[in-house]
Amino acid sequence: MDALNYFAMSWLSPELLALTALGTFLGIYVGAIPGLSVTMAVSILISFTFSWDVNNALCLMVGVYMGGVYGGSRTAILLNIPGAPSAIATALDGYPLAKKGLAGEAIGLSTVMSVVGGFIGILVLALAAPSIADFAITFQPRDYMMLGILGIMLVGSLSGSSLAKGIFAGAFGLLIGTVGLDPMTADERFTFGIIELWDGINPVAVMIGLFGISEALHQLQHMDKAVIKQKISRIIPRLSDVKKYLPLSVRTSFIGVIVGALPGTGGDIAALMAYDHAKRSTKEPDVEFGKGAKEGLIAPESANNAAVGGAYIPMLTLGIPGDAVTAVFIGALFIHGLNPGPLLMVEQPHMFWFTVGNLTLANIFILIFGLTGIKLFSKIVECPKGILIPLIFLLSIVGAYAINNAITDIWWMLAFGVFGYFMRLYGFPVGPVILGVILSSLTDENWRRAILTERGSVIDLFVHLFTSPLSIVLFMTIVLILFTKTPLWSKVVKPKLFPNDA
Amino acid sequence: MKKTTIALLAAISFSSTASLAAYPDKDIQGVIMWGAGGSTDTVMRSVAPYAEEALGTDLILSNKSGGVGAISMKYVNKKKADGYTLLMGAENPQMHKVLGLSNIDYSDMVPVAILARGVPMMVARNDAPYNTMQEFIDYVKAHPGEVKIGSTGKGGLPSIIMAMIDSQVKLDYINIPYKGDGPALTALQGNAIDVMPAVLGATKEQIKAGRMKAIGLIDNQANPMLPNVAPITDTLPGLNSYLPWGPFFGVFVRKGTPDQVVNTLTRAFSSAGEREEFTSMMSNRGYSVMNIAGQEAVDFLDTYRSVSSWLVYKAGVGKFSPEKFGIQKP
Repeated sequence: MDALNYFAMSWLSPELLALTALGTFLGIYVGAIPGLSVTMAVSILISFTFSWDVNNALCLMVGVYMGGVYGGSRTAILLNIPGAPSAIATALDGYPLAKKGLAGEAIGLSTVMSVVGGFIGILVLALAAPSIADFAITFQPRDYMMLGILGIMLVGSLSGSSLAKGIFAGAFGLLIGTVGLDPMTADERFTFGIIELWDGINPVAVMIGLFGISEALHQLQHMDKAVIKQKISRIIPRLSDVKKYLPLSVRTSFIGVIVGALPGTGGDIAALMAYDHAKRSTKEPDVEFGKGAKEGLIAPESANNAAVGGAYIPMLTLGIPGDAVTAVFIGALFIHGLNPGPLLMVEQPHMFWFTVGNLTLANIFILIFGLTGIKLFSKIVECPKGILIPLIFLLSIVGAYAINNAITDIWWMLAFGVFGYFMRLYGFPVGPVILGVILSSLTDENWRRAILTERGSVIDLFVHLFTSPLSIVLFMTIVLILFTKTPLWSKVVKPKLFPNDA
Repeated sequence: MKKTTIALLAAISFSSTASLAAYPDKDIQGVIMWGAGGSTDTVMRSVAPYAEEALGTDLILSNKSGGVGAISMKYVNKKKADGYTLLMGAENPQMHKVLGLSNIDYSDMVPVAILARGVPMMVARNDAPYNTMQEFIDYVKAHPGEVKIGSTGKGGLPSIIMAMIDSQVKLDYINIPYKGDGPALTALQGNAIDVMPAVLGATKEQIKAGRMKAIGLIDNQANPMLPNVAPITDTLPGLNSYLPWGPFFGVFVRKGTPDQVVNTLTRAFSSAGEREEFTSMMSNRGYSVMNIAGQEAVDFLDTYRSVSSWLVYKAGVGKFSPEKFGIQKP
């Protein structure tokens, strides 16, 4: 019964309840502004709440975290600028919905499905944390490498009409991702001796440019187009819609939890994988993907919120951060005199249930704050272009500067904005570029770690791959995905296996 | 635009020189060398509130990570030497000259206070067939090219510790770099690597929980925080000349900052560093509180630089000889 007591602690104290609400509210807005990251907000709150009681401080920070991950979808849907990398996939189908005048409905649906994802994440955290944490740390470098390759194959889902152009964009992203000091040897790669390039080109700057600025430039070109009137009659999604998409939401939530729990990957990769899953598993979407398919909106939103619960799994059980934000939480716990580590559950068992209860509460507040104020938000898209376009520029520039307090990031952002504009003009998809930038280091580093482990022998790497069930599963998935794209599969194997499908 | 900025800057600098006696009379910027959530970040964010109290002004902290610390060094050294921009950094810049990463290190700055230092040590995965440094060395000798040791890249703490050991005994092992000690220690628990040189602060809780084991202390005397672990000098007495050595956290200002201002800052950070809340938090995290300033701090920084630079250079990792920069041999 102790567990229930601690679970309900933040629900019953008016002070903690109010702080969680405030945190969630702040988080939604911090998350919505590109460049203002949840990581940064939480670390500023550490200083701010330094002298507070630890529970009060945690309530505020948990709220910001939960709210922030959800908030990233707002600007993605309304302005085509993802508030954070985990909302990139949301923009792919969310923004086309807004362009059809369905922004209100899109936000409503994404809110409900984010909350569903959030709950599934929390549920898994509450019920299976220790075993999932033990599973997550058994991922070897070669497994992360294969995860990276699986991610790179998502390029197929993000390419739109031309796969060749998509592959080009993805490869370009991978190249951008290699700029900077080599993560293994600290040798300079494509830096031309410029110190500002040592840490590479920030993926968030690339993202804001490719999505935000290129969108603004695109709209400038089409100034004559009339502003789309938003239908705001329906905000709370239809029950039939929720029922229809719930299985997809649940499936992608599980993708989110697992990817979130892995110490090397977070909500951004989870959301992209979920989008890919939605595209593969939806046989006949009502609307084509990339043109406003609701499935393409629901999948990443469920997954990135589920990843929050996932990220807490290794943090609360082992003291290993599941993502950048939980790394900051670990610092906060230290400052407040708690020792996050494998003994936290033993020495401070209440922390676990308090956090679970608090996350649940924050998730409920997302539902409340998310579904109110949509009417006002939707109006943003109805702004005259003379106001909207400068607003996008302002948001993008502030966002790029906020990443690292560096002017350099603004220049990168603007350069990629112009580049992205021309990409769109010639029919190149921008999504794969970001995908490449995000996955570049994950794949690069782990491939090299894997091969170092085998002392440079590719044969050993291949042989040892078959000693681990996890590696076999990942390897077979990659092979299967590639195989299903070959003529041998579509012409010979598939008709035999699924004779009714054709 | 540029003109107004220059005018503004001139106005700010004028006002600060005019009212020097009243330092500090406005907010002070604190530039943290590493990102949010890292150890430098947490140390600085936990000392800052007490320093603010002592200074009677706000400390505005921001993270400026990048270039293994070189970006923040460059940034602070571009600002006016008026004590309104502090660098809150770790040990990294002391290796920058030898590694060819940058031409400024802490000898080109004034230390306000060195707050704490990490306790370097060696941890191994739980089921590794060795429990002490001697057993570890014997095992690696008997199984050349089999043991996987994690690192954090050139010039990182593990590379220096391995260079120290290498100066006494030649070992053949596999070096697997990670992006930081956090990911490497996670990999250790997942058996992706066997041994990792790290600081106690990063391993304390995992050792206590029995998820990894300490096999040696990189120091010349035992540490009260790890009473059962032998110092490495018991096994390799030749290391005495290099030790004690360890990564540190300190606050610095640009060279040329008026003595008066440095003294005010030193007093503030020293009193903050003495606060019981801070010292207990540091020992709880596994760091040794140092709280030194003035000549003592300069000497400590010099020793750290000379030991690390020569080790790294001799191990063939350094780009330039320490001699080029007048760095004495340890």
